[in-house]
Amino acid sequence: MVKASYIFTLLLSVCVLGSLSAQTAEISPERKRAIDSLALEKVRDLSKYISIIGNKQTAFSEATRVMDRAEELFAPESEMGVSSLNRKEISYYKVRQYFERLMALNYDRVTISWYNIHYISDLERQPDGRYVGVVTIYQRFEGTTEDGLMKYKDTTKKDITIYVERKKTQIAGRIVEFWDVLLGDIRVTETSS
Amino acid sequence: MMNVIRNSSKVVMWLFVLMICFTGCKSKKKAAEAARAAEERARIEQEANLRKQEEQRKKDAEEAARRDEEARQREMLSNAPKARLNQYFESIAGSSNVASANSSINEALTLFASPDAPVLIVISEEGSQKDYDKPTTIRQYLNYLKDTKNNANTISNVQVDSSGKITEVELRKN
Repeated sequence: MVKASYIFTLLLSVCVLGSLSAQTAEISPERKRAIDSLALEKVRDLSKYISIIGNKQTAFSEATRVMDRAEELFAPESEMGVSSLNRKEISYYKVRQYFERLMALNYDRVTISWYNIHYISDLERQPDGRYVGVVTIYQRFEGTTEDGLMKYKDTTKKDITIYVERKKTQIAGRIVEFWDVLLGDIRVTETSS
Repeated sequence: MMNVIRNSSKVVMWLFVLMICFTGCKSKKKAAEAARAAEERARIEQEANLRKQEEQRKKDAEEAARRDEEARQREMLSNAPKARLNQYFESIAGSSNVASANSSINEALTLFASPDAPVLIVISEEGSQKDYDKPTTIRQYLNYLKDTKNNANTISNVQVDSSGKITEVELRKN
């Protein structure tokens, strides 16, 4: 009986180890670095899109097109956190709604820039095969009216969840595998003047 | 009388000796002439050979130059869409205003069989394993260049159809 339970434990250990090693069948460091860098690039792209959408000089048609492209960077139902120095609470909007509000801001000039973009949590492979990580960014916002009566500026630190997944698609009759990088919720962690 | 006979035989003998000498000289002269002729022939043949070799060398050089030129033309033709596309990429990413970027986008799209021609971006490659970014279309990629000014990818391959229009582009992250 003791022998049988010993064999059972041994077999179970082998199975668990095998399963773990399959799950952690990691890609090479070079490929991982390329994926890390791809995800950071998507965040930088978003920062440029946000800057275009917020810019009052951008034509409506261009802003709408850019909103579509920016929305494609996100996983469905993702939310964007918005804070203000004038209130304590942080509001969360679906990304499309956030872009539309950004475009409609009541300033004559809006400048938004993101900087110090870096990982605070590296992309890690999850049991479902996806890679998940968190990137932090600092956003500088400045809005002014023509008469100079209304002026607001702040700096917000935001955390962006990143999902990377291996997917397949068909191009000209052949299967192409690619890494799909999607941004998740963007949470505000700090707001300062 | 005996003296006359003796003298005349001497004369005959001298004449005979002289004749032999003369004949010898003549044959020596003939031999020298023949040798000279042979030398001349050899020289002419050598010169003809040199001329032939020189002509062959010229012909070979001309043939090689023609082949090089053909190869250069072929390469230029195959690189032409790539080079032109690269110029458009630079021009769109470097545009200072939306109108000029849009104009370059419209011009660039004329190189393509369709604005929906796929664009694949290789982010890394290990052996035969290529990792791609999410595939996009040329129209979207050109707009991406306009919006982000990020022309960081190099064109690694373009596929063209029978009418010379680009049907697919493969880019590589630098």
